[in-house]
Amino acid sequence: MSPREEYLHKPLHGLERRLLKALSGRGKTTLEVAARKAGITEDQARRTVEWLKSKGLAKVEVTERHHISLAEEGLKAAKEGLPEKRLLKAFRGRKSVSIEELRKRFKDQQEFNAALGQARAKEWIKISSEGEKTVVLRSDKGGASASEALLKRLKKKETYYDDLPEGMKKTFDDLSKRSGFVSRKIVKAMTVAATPEAKSALGGVEEAKEVDVITPEMLVSGSWKGLRLRPLDVDAPAPLVYPGKKHPIRLFIDEVREIFASLGFQEIEGPVVQPAFWNFDALFIPQDHSARDMQDTFYLSGLSMDRFDDQNIAAVATAHEFGGSTGSKGWGYKWRLEEAKRLVLRTHTTAATVKYLADFKPSEAKVFSVGKVFRNEKVTFKNLVEFYQIEGIAVGNDVTLRDMMGLLSRFYQRLGIQKVKFWPTYFPYTEPSLQSVVYWEKLNRWVELCGMGIFRPEVTLPLGVANPVLAWGGGLERLIMLRYGIDDVRQLYGNNLKWLRETPLCL
Amino acid sequence: MPVVTLYFNHLKTLLEKNLTEEQIKEALPYLGLDLEEAGEGFVRVEYNPNRPDYSTDVGIARGLNGLLGFNSGTPKYSIIMGGTRVIVDQSVIPLRPQIVCLKVRGLHFDDESIRQLISMQEDLHAGIGRKRRRVSIGIHNFDVVDPPFHYVAAPPSFRFPPLGYTEPMTMAEILEKTEQGKTYGHIVKEFSNYPLITDANGKVLSFPPIINGERTRVSAATKNLFIDVTGTDLRAVGDALTIVASFLHDTGGKLETVSVDYPHASLATPNMSPFEMPVNVETVNRLLGLDLSSDEIIQCLGKCRITAMKRGNSIVASVPRYRTDMLHQVDIVEEVAIGYGIQNFTATTPSSYSAGGYDKGLKIMSRVEDVLVGLGLVEAVNLTLISEEAIAKTSGGKGKASLKVDDPKSMEHEVLRDNLLPSLLMVLARNVHEEYPQRVFEVTKVFQQDPQHPYVITEEPQVAAVMAHSEANFTEAKSLLSALLKQAFNTKCSTSSKPHPSLCPGRSASVKISNTTLGFVGEIRPEVLREFQLRTPVAAFQVNIGKLIEDELGRK
Repeated sequence: MSPREEYLHKPLHGLERRLLKALSGRGKTTLEVAARKAGITEDQARRTVEWLKSKGLAKVEVTERHHISLAEEGLKAAKEGLPEKRLLKAFRGRKSVSIEELRKRFKDQQEFNAALGQARAKEWIKISSEGEKTVVLRSDKGGASASEALLKRLKKKETYYDDLPEGMKKTFDDLSKRSGFVSRKIVKAMTVAATPEAKSALGGVEEAKEVDVITPEMLVSGSWKGLRLRPLDVDAPAPLVYPGKKHPIRLFIDEVREIFASLGFQEIEGPVVQPAFWNFDALFIPQDHSARDMQDTFYLSGLSMDRFDDQNIAAVATAHEFGGSTGSKGWGYKWRLEEAKRLVLRTHTTAATVKYLADFKPSEAKVFSVGKVFRNEKVTFKNLVEFYQIEGIAVGNDVTLRDMMGLLSRFYQRLGIQKVKFWPTYFPYTEPSLQSVVYWEKLNRWVELCGMGIFRPEVTLPLGVANPVLAWGGGLERLIMLRYGIDDVRQLYGNNLKWLRETPLCL
Repeated sequence: MPVVTLYFNHLKTLLEKNLTEEQIKEALPYLGLDLEEAGEGFVRVEYNPNRPDYSTDVGIARGLNGLLGFNSGTPKYSIIMGGTRVIVDQSVIPLRPQIVCLKVRGLHFDDESIRQLISMQEDLHAGIGRKRRRVSIGIHNFDVVDPPFHYVAAPPSFRFPPLGYTEPMTMAEILEKTEQGKTYGHIVKEFSNYPLITDANGKVLSFPPIINGERTRVSAATKNLFIDVTGTDLRAVGDALTIVASFLHDTGGKLETVSVDYPHASLATPNMSPFEMPVNVETVNRLLGLDLSSDEIIQCLGKCRITAMKRGNSIVASVPRYRTDMLHQVDIVEEVAIGYGIQNFTATTPSSYSAGGYDKGLKIMSRVEDVLVGLGLVEAVNLTLISEEAIAKTSGGKGKASLKVDDPKSMEHEVLRDNLLPSLLMVLARNVHEEYPQRVFEVTKVFQQDPQHPYVITEEPQVAAVMAHSEANFTEAKSLLSALLKQAFNTKCSTSSKPHPSLCPGRSASVKISNTTLGFVGEIRPEVLREFQLRTPVAAFQVNIGKLIEDELGRK
């Protein structure tokens, strides 16, 4: 079936039906007329003609037409008469009048000269001299003029040149030689005519009465049966609406949580505000470490634990001082409880992880957390004062560094990251420690992501955890920014409604 | 993290075989060095703070020579017993008790070596030195002073020309006027006398930890050096000195010990002999998931510049002194991993099975999000730290900000928020040019302080929503709140008229659930809207949901 035939088998759109009906029995019709006859707007008619043309139901011709109208002089002449007619009137029935008298009748000397010239050319007057005086003689000619009829017609209604009766065209041409009387504009005009196929396409179906909506009353009474819904312009854009939506950060957190759970990890959650003990000391971070400076860490103003008598204090303190019973040399300094009691906004979720280890002392476990962490940094496109960290640990008698690499690779795989490599690095609380670097396809380069390692015995043994603990963690925003192609982290937390509303969920 | 600049043409002279620049760049990350920047003829790499021996290209070349198999095992450092003495006066013990020193002869510095030495000194000051408080290092031209040297406490009025000045200044003036004095003066300011190192004739070497004397200034022409390292921690000063000594040895200097005579003991420094650490084959294999023999382990360690030997059934590693990071046997395990080559590990997965799952409380908070999304609201995620100004604007100046952080770098982030309304009004304020209606919510934890025990901080799950459009009103807010409570918690609330600093009188109600007041609902005051430059009516609700979550979890 050719495309045209296919069209022909589809029912006609309401607009097409109306326009075709308006065209039936007419020849070439201008768009304006066709629209008026069909009772639709010219815009609708223009679109409808395109549809009909593509279906072969209408023929369209575009012609240039001359739109004509009166210009300034013409409007004046239509009201007061042509200048040469006014000249004749000034004779007041006399046969000859001095040129001076006539001249006085005209305010505008140019107009007078033009009137004189025109009247002479039409042989309405003659000019002769009587001694020193110049006089104008009236002839028998002059009276009703074709020009005036044209002026009257154009004043009543502007028209197209080719709509003028043949005789008037010459008059118009003459008048257009005089400056300022008439104007002429070339416009492109479309004429449309129905093709012979149009009749069968209309199919002679009687048009039902059209309504805009079917009301509940029509449905109840059954009156809808005799009615036809006015066809809509189904192509027209509908108003935009926006759904309620989760924030992209939350959506990503949900995705990460799902991945962890599917890998057999149980979610844990811990408080944001922690004594420095859980954020630093329990992680074997010495008390004079630069990470603990106020420049890097948020301490709550003037707030310390009044009492802090955790059972793990002594073991942690000795691990710092000389290694305690962990087999370590320790850091070799005097550990102070006061420093451990200060309240901080956790700088990593590892604070929650290590508290979990202390509370449950698991010999086997896989747990994860996604939580806010804080750093006292200047806000830039790269850094915020707080961000989300993801972290997972696996505890077991026989877990190994290779397992760690395997778990993290699986985690990445489920985020759509295939290529991962590892480099050695350093964290105060893990040994060995590795940095993972992943290949990000869209950027076509390697990107540093999660860090990982096995918790140091100085961390686990004082808390009563004997088995190795594999741990990995990293910032969440980095991943979200890569996913959404954002390069300013502030945009993530800007809550710009346009962005929130328009960003699709499928990214 | 500290950064070191490596110039390839200098580095290549230190490598024992030829490498291309590309090969060097490839290998560096496997030493734990992060490529920061690459330029014409140089790279800048970040090294980890536990490896101050990587603060120079000499140290990095030592590592590369090992890892790439050009050289193996613990480097040998020859040092002869020297006759130079430093006499420590009792008076300085309460100020800055530890001092270790070194003499180096026969140096032939080039500009690059001097640059490396100074940048190493700066890195050691920042890291191991804890910004000079714990350790500071003085480097002197030995040939312009006469031993024995004296480490004493001197009065602030003591005068000498400090480095960079020709005229003498008092030590008090030095603290006030010199750049170093202004930066590090706080370390000694509380003392009535200051630490000082002089030579036999009273010429000043150093005012630790602030500045050296001008007299002992070092230049490329300097052949013989004297190094002092002072501080508060004997291990740390010793570590710093060993790292400097290793560098100077590898740049061609001949090391001599210095005898440090404390009031009651005498010490020859530095100690350059390796220390022993036991290596348990089983521990290595268990942690790494490998099956290496003793010989293989010894080979891996050799690549990390650690000589190890079988002794009976176990292995003993002989670790160079500059490896100040070696605290525990696990540190040796990591060396084995690096020597084995991290790129040679294949990933495995743990064999044990475990069922994963979500935290129950967080799961309920997800449910709250789902209901509000279903009701057509858009979720906002805001920062936890907000400004005092935002709290004041929200509450007509009546809100108080109790949980402030010390020394925030930005005034926008100085208080832990105790409710969500200020953040949500800020979201509306930022979106005045976006299409209305706007309906936005947030669900997260807020921070509340126990009035009796100020250090007890409750992290309370809270939900809040704002509706902004020309017809926003109390009824809409209450409808949405009721739908939320019904769908998410199968409960309902009673609302009774109650004034609220953010809400219009008469359009302000407290929200009670099972007789406990948990929040509010109402229309935001025009004064508050004006503060946020909002030109649309706003209705809002806010409810603490911690109790609802606990009730549900308790019930199950």
